[in-house]
Amino acid sequence: MTRFQRFPVAPTGLVLFWRAAAIAVAGVIVACALALSGRNPFELAGLVIHSTVGSRFGLEDLALFMTPLVLTGAAVTLTRCIGLWNIGGEGQFYLGAVGAAGVGLYVSGPPILILPLMAVAAMVCGALWILVPALARAWINVNEIITTLLLNFVAGFLVYWLATGPWRDRVTGALVSTGRLPVAIPEMWGAVHYGFPVSLLVVCALAGLLRRTVWGYEVRISGANPGAARYAGIPMRWRIIVVMLISGALAALAGMFEVAGTVHRMQGGMANNFGYLGIVVAVLARGSCMAVIPAALLVAFILDAGIVLQTQQLAATTVLAITGLVLLLIAIADELAHYRPVGGIGQGKASA
Amino acid sequence: MVEATGVPAGLEPGTPPVLRLAGISKYFPGVIANEAVDLEVWPGEILALLGENGAGKSTLMNVVTGIYQPEAGEIVMDGYGVNFATPQDAIRAGIGMVHQHFRLVPAFTVAENIHLGWEDTPRNASAAVMETRTRELSEKFGFPVDPKARVADLSAGEQQRVEILRVLSRQARLLILDEPTAVLTPEEAGELFRSLRAFRARGNAVILISHKLDEVMDISDRVTVLRGGRNAGSFETKACSPSMLAATMVGREIVRRDLRVRPPGAASVSATPVLGLSGAGVRDGRGVMTLKDVTLELYGGEILGVAGVAGNGQRELTELLTGLATPDEGRVLIDGQVASPGAAAFAHAGVGHIPQDRLHSALAPSLGVTDNMVLREYSQRPIGTGPFYDAAEARSLAATIADIAEVRVPGFEMPVRNLSGGNQQRLVARREMRISSKALVAAYPSRGLDIGAIATMHRYFADLRDSGVGVIVISEDLEELLNLSDRVAVLCAGRLMDVLSAEDASIERIGMLMGGKVGHMPGVQG
Repeated sequence: MTRFQRFPVAPTGLVLFWRAAAIAVAGVIVACALALSGRNPFELAGLVIHSTVGSRFGLEDLALFMTPLVLTGAAVTLTRCIGLWNIGGEGQFYLGAVGAAGVGLYVSGPPILILPLMAVAAMVCGALWILVPALARAWINVNEIITTLLLNFVAGFLVYWLATGPWRDRVTGALVSTGRLPVAIPEMWGAVHYGFPVSLLVVCALAGLLRRTVWGYEVRISGANPGAARYAGIPMRWRIIVVMLISGALAALAGMFEVAGTVHRMQGGMANNFGYLGIVVAVLARGSCMAVIPAALLVAFILDAGIVLQTQQLAATTVLAITGLVLLLIAIADELAHYRPVGGIGQGKASA
Repeated sequence: MVEATGVPAGLEPGTPPVLRLAGISKYFPGVIANEAVDLEVWPGEILALLGENGAGKSTLMNVVTGIYQPEAGEIVMDGYGVNFATPQDAIRAGIGMVHQHFRLVPAFTVAENIHLGWEDTPRNASAAVMETRTRELSEKFGFPVDPKARVADLSAGEQQRVEILRVLSRQARLLILDEPTAVLTPEEAGELFRSLRAFRARGNAVILISHKLDEVMDISDRVTVLRGGRNAGSFETKACSPSMLAATMVGREIVRRDLRVRPPGAASVSATPVLGLSGAGVRDGRGVMTLKDVTLELYGGEILGVAGVAGNGQRELTELLTGLATPDEGRVLIDGQVASPGAAAFAHAGVGHIPQDRLHSALAPSLGVTDNMVLREYSQRPIGTGPFYDAAEARSLAATIADIAEVRVPGFEMPVRNLSGGNQQRLVARREMRISSKALVAAYPSRGLDIGAIATMHRYFADLRDSGVGVIVISEDLEELLNLSDRVAVLCAGRLMDVLSAEDASIERIGMLMGGKVGHMPGVQG
C-alpha cells in the first residue's frame, strides 16, 4: 500500500520542485483567463518574456525593481528570525526617502561624502520610525504587526506633505515632488545603479551576521523559542529592539536607493508597495536570507510583467491578482512539499 | 509465570469478558504501533496495562475508545463484535476513558462540567437542578464532589474525581485510567484506589495504565504487558513480582543498583554548601507569596531530593536556584556568596539546569541538534570568539555531547523535535552536566520517560554526585527520590516543611508532610 504521509520537514529539493510546478500552474491559469477575455496568451507571453528577461532594457528594469525588494524582503526576513513581523517596511521606506532627500537637497558637498551621509541619514530615520513599535514590543508586549502597519499611513502622508509643502519643487512648481536631487548614485550598467550590488552584499552580510556571530545565534534561539532564550539568560528585549531597528534601517536604505538611484526626487506614493511586497518576498524566502535574492527576482518579474500587460490595455490590478495567485499556489506547493510517498509498512508487513 | 486463560474463578462459566481484543493491529507509516494484540478484561476485575513509553499503550486505548480504527483485529464487548467509528460510539457502548490531562472546563462548576455535552442533561437545566443531579450521581457512584465548586479551585485529586464521575455518569462499565496517580498525593491515590475497588465490586471492569509497579501490584487483579506494540504476556498479579514485570516490560532483567551507595573513589560531601537559599521568598503577580522563607543548603557530592505535589512552590524554587528569578525576600548563595542575578550568570558560575518542560524551555524544537547543544557554551571559546560564532566548532561540540549521551543523531541540522523524548532528555542532561561544575538542578527529570531512560538519568545524577557536584532532584515520584537522595526536602504551599535524612525518610512520613501535616515533628516551621 503506497500512501502519502506528512513529514515535519520539507526538503529544499521538493520545495523547489513544487514551487516550479506552482508557478507553471499560475502561468496556465493566467493564460486561460487572458484567452477567455479574448486575448492571445502566447503573444502576450512572448511580449512579457521579451520585455523582461529577453532584452537588455528588460533586464535593467528587473534589476531596478529587485534592488528595493531585496532590501525590504531582508527587513522582513530579519524580524522573522526573532519571531516578529515588520509590516511597516512601506513607512520605513518613506522615512528613508525623507532622510536621503533632506540631506541630498539641503547639504552640499562632493557626492563621495554626500551619498554615504544620505544613506546614514536614511537608515537613522527608518530606525527611528520603528523605534516606538520596537520599544512597545520589547517592554509592554504590544503587537508589532499593528503598530508598524499603522505607521505606514503616517509616513505616507508625511512624504506627501513634504513633497507638496515645504520641500516642493520650486523650479517647475507643477510636480507633486521635491526638486531633482543634485547627487545621484552612479550608474553601472545602463539605468542600473550601484544600489543593486550593494543590496545583494547587504543580504549576504545579514546572512553572515545571523549564521556566524554569537548575536545571530542568540537572535535565532530567541525567535525559535523565547522560553529557551529565557532559560539560557539571553537578554531577549535587547535582541528584539536591535533586530527591529536594523530591519527599519534596511527598508529605509531601499528608500534611499530609490530616491538617489532611480527616481532622483522624493514624491508621494513613491514607495510603490515595495514595503508590502517585501513581506511577499520574505514569505517566499521561507526565513532564509540568501533565498531573499531569488524571491525578490520572482516578485520583480511579476511587477515587470504587470507593467508590460498594462501597456496592452490590461488593468493595473491584474498585477495584484497575479501576485495573489502565485502566492496562493506557492503556499499550497510549500505544504505539498511536506508529503512524501511511504511505500509499504514497517518491516514490509502487509496490512489487512 | 501463569498465563491467564479461560473464565476467572468466581464468574459463571460462559460469562463473556467485558472487553476482548483479538489480534488488534494498528500501523502508522514506518511504525508498528500495535500488532496482533490480544487482551481480555473480565467483569469485576482491574487490569493493569504496563509498558514503556512507545510500547503502544496509548494507541491501543485510542483504538478501544474509538479514536483510531484498527487495521486488523476484532473488538468484542460482552461477546458481541463491535466497531467504533467515533469516540461517541465507544462512550455509548459503556467505555469511559479518564485522560492523564483532564478534559474539564476550569471556569465552570463541577455540576456544569458533569452535564456538559451529555445527552441526558435536561433541557433548560437550572444550576440547582444540575447540582442536585450531580449530588445524586456523586452518592450513587461513591465519588464525593462539591457540585457548586469551580473546577479551577479544585486540587488535582478533586478534579480527577469530577472527571471519573463524568465518565461514570455516562453509564461506563469499563473505566480506562491513564496514569491516574501521576498528579495525586499518596493519600489521594489511596482514596482513588478505594473507589476503584468499590467500582469493581459492582461487577464493572477497569483498565489502569501505569508506570508504577508497586501500584500495579497493589491494586490490579491481572497485568497485561505491552512491548514494542505487541502483547508480551498477561499474568495473574498474584503470580508476579515487580522485578519480573519490569523485566517483561523492557525485555531484560533490570539490575537495580542502590544509587545511594558510593563507589570507591567517589568525592566526599563538601564541607560548605555549593548552592543555597537563605530566607528566600517569591511573590507572584498578585502579590501572593508563592514561596515563603525557604532556607536550604546543597552540599557538593550529595543528592538532595525535593518532594511535594506539583504547584506547591517547585517552579519558584527551581527558578531561584537557577537564576531565572530573583527572590523578593532573602538571598540565593553560590559557594556562600550572594549570586549575581541572571540565568546566564548562574550557568557560568557552574549551576546546570534540567527544566521541567524541556520542549518549552531547554530546547528550541524547530532548530537543529547543533544549535540546541551549544545553548550553554555558544559564547565561550572555541565556539564563540569575541562576536564571532564558529559553526564547525559548534557542530563538533554537538557531536561530542551526542556521543557521551549515546544518542544516535541522524543529522545535526535535523530539528531536535524529531528525536524521541528520551533522547532529547539525555542530550539536555549531558549538555547541562558539562557546565555543572558546582550544582545541577533537575526538575521532574524522569517525567514522560520510560524505565530504561529513567535508569540512565539516575545513573547520570549518581555519577555527577560522585564527582563532587551537588544535585537537586525535584520530583513527585517518592520512590525515585528515596532511591536517589541523601536528604529529602518537602514543599507544601510554598513552605519548606522539613528536610529529612535518607534514614528518617519514608513514603508515609514524606506523604504526611506533602499534605501539610506536620504531625508530631517538633521545631518545624510552618
